[in-house]
Amino acid sequence: MTFEELAVPLLSPLYTYARWLTSDAHEAEDLVQETFLKGLRGFGSFTQGTNFRAWMYRILRNTFLTSRSGLKAQTSIDDDPERFEKLPVESTPESLLFARYDVDRLRGAIAELPLPFREVLLLVDIEEMAYRDVAETLSIPVGTVTSRVMRARKKLREAMR
Amino acid sequence: MNHLSAEDVARIADGESQDDAHLRECAICASAVLGEMRLKRAVREAMPRYEVPASLRRRTGGAPILHWMPLAAAAAAAIVVVLAVFYSRGNSANELVDMHATLLASPNAVDVLSTDKHTVKPWFEGRVPFAVPVPELQPPFRLVGGRVVYWHQQPGAYLLIAKGAHRISLFIFRDELRAVKTRDVTSEVWRANGLTFVAIADVPQQDLDALRRSF
Repeated sequence: MTFEELAVPLLSPLYTYARWLTSDAHEAEDLVQETFLKGLRGFGSFTQGTNFRAWMYRILRNTFLTSRSGLKAQTSIDDDPERFEKLPVESTPESLLFARYDVDRLRGAIAELPLPFREVLLLVDIEEMAYRDVAETLSIPVGTVTSRVMRARKKLREAMR
Repeated sequence: MNHLSAEDVARIADGESQDDAHLRECAICASAVLGEMRLKRAVREAMPRYEVPASLRRRTGGAPILHWMPLAAAAAAAIVVVLAVFYSRGNSANELVDMHATLLASPNAVDVLSTDKHTVKPWFEGRVPFAVPVPELQPPFRLVGGRVVYWHQQPGAYLLIAKGAHRISLFIFRDELRAVKTRDVTSEVWRANGLTFVAIADVPQQDLDALRRSF
């Protein structure tokens, strides 16, 4: 398949991803355009049949991380799985907690999440990516994806209390 | 009783684990998974998809987007002459052909974009109430991806399959359909393993016959 055939269907999700990463419409446009240019230039090295979607998301994310706002957004978090692997479930009835949530407040809480947490939520909950695809996109182990998803949601719950 | 870890709960809610035996016995963990699913839904609702500005569509190359337009136009033209297609459910064929044209005209024809059946098949798990058959397609057919579609209030699977520059829509439902006659637009309807397959495309009939043999 050509680059266009593969990439054009991704324009909309990539733009949404860029908007949530940058929080800025113009910056998101530039970011997606640069991603397409880089993708087109690098398409010769892309192995057909492998995960094109994860490849494009990775280009977009790496481009963002080297931009001025991306450098500012980078946060170091503790990904040591030993510390988080066996956290017990919380016994608070979640059904009550999120029965009447405030959308604006939740949106604010998501925006406040450190980038490593925000992006896994974007990819898992919005783009419905499998953990292994998220791992490939973010170049991290699947176990780290699991841990970040769990901790991102924990932070949201805490923020919504 | 040992409870699931928070990571187990996340993995079950995200469809990464099918190991839910414990949930049938433990109300606390079942409640935690339910809560996780509600939070996922809340996050989805709080984080809208943004519409791509026209300026960006132009900047990422008008040509690639326009590349899809002849397909959409061809599909739309096919609708005009498709009325000789009848199924046991009256004008249902028209709806499926409409859906075929709409999806081809959309920049997001599929929600899971992959040529790999091992990616597409599991993606449907939990999204449609049956196991979606996704065979290893042989050239000239190539899997592009899939999505869930609704037709007569029932969820079905949609597979987008490429044959060169042509696109074939394959709808898979549980309900039975029957093709009486087709003309001008190519369609193929068959039943297998309790499922109905409807293939629609602007390709010769023998191509759809060949595709049918793949399933």
